[in-house]
Amino acid sequence: MSEEYEVEDGLHYTEEHEWAKVLDDGSVLIGVTDYAQKQLHEIVYVELPEVGDSADYMGVVGALESVKAVSDMNSPVAGEILEVNEGLLDSPEQVNESPYGEGWFAKVKPSDLDGDLAKLMDAAAYREHLKSQAH
Amino acid sequence: MDLRKTHIYDYHVKHGNIVDFGGFAMPVWYDGIIAEHNAVRDAVGIFDTSHMGRSMAEGPDTERFLNRVISNDLSKLGPMGGLYSVMCTPEGGVVDDLILYKLRDDKYFIVYNAGTREKDFAWFTKHSEGYDVELKDLSDNMAMMAVQGPKAVETVNAVTEEDVTAVERFNIAEVTLDGLPCFVTRTGYTGEDGFEVYVKDCPLASPEKGLKAWNALVDAGAKPCGLGSRDSLRLEAGLNLSGQDIHEGTNPLEAKLRWVIKFKKEGGFIGMEAIQAAREAGIKRVQVGVAMVGRGIPRHDYEIWDGEGAGKIGVVTSGGLAPSLGYGIALGYVPREHSKLDTKVMIKIRSRLAEGKIVKSHPFYDDSVYGWKRVK
Repeated sequence: MSEEYEVEDGLHYTEEHEWAKVLDDGSVLIGVTDYAQKQLHEIVYVELPEVGDSADYMGVVGALESVKAVSDMNSPVAGEILEVNEGLLDSPEQVNESPYGEGWFAKVKPSDLDGDLAKLMDAAAYREHLKSQAH
Repeated sequence: MDLRKTHIYDYHVKHGNIVDFGGFAMPVWYDGIIAEHNAVRDAVGIFDTSHMGRSMAEGPDTERFLNRVISNDLSKLGPMGGLYSVMCTPEGGVVDDLILYKLRDDKYFIVYNAGTREKDFAWFTKHSEGYDVELKDLSDNMAMMAVQGPKAVETVNAVTEEDVTAVERFNIAEVTLDGLPCFVTRTGYTGEDGFEVYVKDCPLASPEKGLKAWNALVDAGAKPCGLGSRDSLRLEAGLNLSGQDIHEGTNPLEAKLRWVIKFKKEGGFIGMEAIQAAREAGIKRVQVGVAMVGRGIPRHDYEIWDGEGAGKIGVVTSGGLAPSLGYGIALGYVPREHSKLDTKVMIKIRSRLAEGKIVKSHPFYDDSVYGWKRVK
């Protein structure tokens, strides 16, 4: 199954199919994985947090919706929302087209980066995790 | 638990994305919900509806029996005509909605919902006591599919020996489709023109005839559509989903179903007294359509608040993005004083209140742009 889904090396992953990417300045980009976007299919609506909102580790910071389904967006790291991808408001399909690129969700200033990263999976572990997903 | 399969399962498993729909393995989409939705609005799509219930009632008391069970009145129905109705509990709640087709005075074909299939047949059986009528559940012996959209007539005509153009809305006809004896009815659940096709003598254990009819219609141009677009299409058309928008806790007068309640028909019907009593006491909540003004998609079970955001006034029973309209829409119930067109309401979406307004919901779209009325 897992070969059907792209997993990018160098990112950190949650069991709920979010990713976190640590940038050079220490901030963290967050988004959903290829698997998550394929499960939702045709994302038609994205609800973003406000800049300045605080995020808990795996706390809900927004939502992604397809015609049929609603999926919470959980933050893989705790911290403060620095920036949101406002392009998704008009073009939610970017999450489908480029889940690790143009479809990023928000940028977070982490409050306990090392602690949170220790709880996340690397790409190899996430690939294994995908194999265990039914469907 | 193993999911129940329909006659068309072999096609779904090869081409579609299967989900558990009330215990049935059904395709939610093949190519994508929006593409399938648009195919039905713009051209023609085909849905497997073999999970639905269909029965035959036959015998001298058939019409008298059915007219007692349903709220609408069969007595004025001509041969090969169909009638939409609900059937109610003695307390006046909706057991299910259904369509009854008169093949002869003493023989009716009945089509009802998948989720209530067993309950409905048991209900018919229980209430047939004392009437000379024989009931047969044909659901597993007949494949069923819906061909829907402005090009449905030409698509069905391409594979039937008979010309179906003259079959009137809600009427039933016998046809030979790709060599197979079938019923067709000029009905559907999308708001568009179209037919429901019933492939006779097609047992679930050997569904070849059903698959043959399905493939012939697909080859004639009908795009296979899953339950995702079936739901977005019926919601845009403002059609109730039984078990969700109407159920045993719903009085049909709350659900804009006054037109199928015949208080004066001979012999009355089950639930009539309770519905009449509720009417005399005053119907306090009513079904409304809501269109979103602000961002956000209303969903089943979201709260409806008053326009000032002071508090909850009702609940969304069906909601979603309307692909043909480009905004979120919902069916729900609110107190009568909040039901006037253009009244501002709020929908509670997660932790925030998003603005909506009461709109015409049957259908939500402009029926000179979409839907069966524009065809012809």
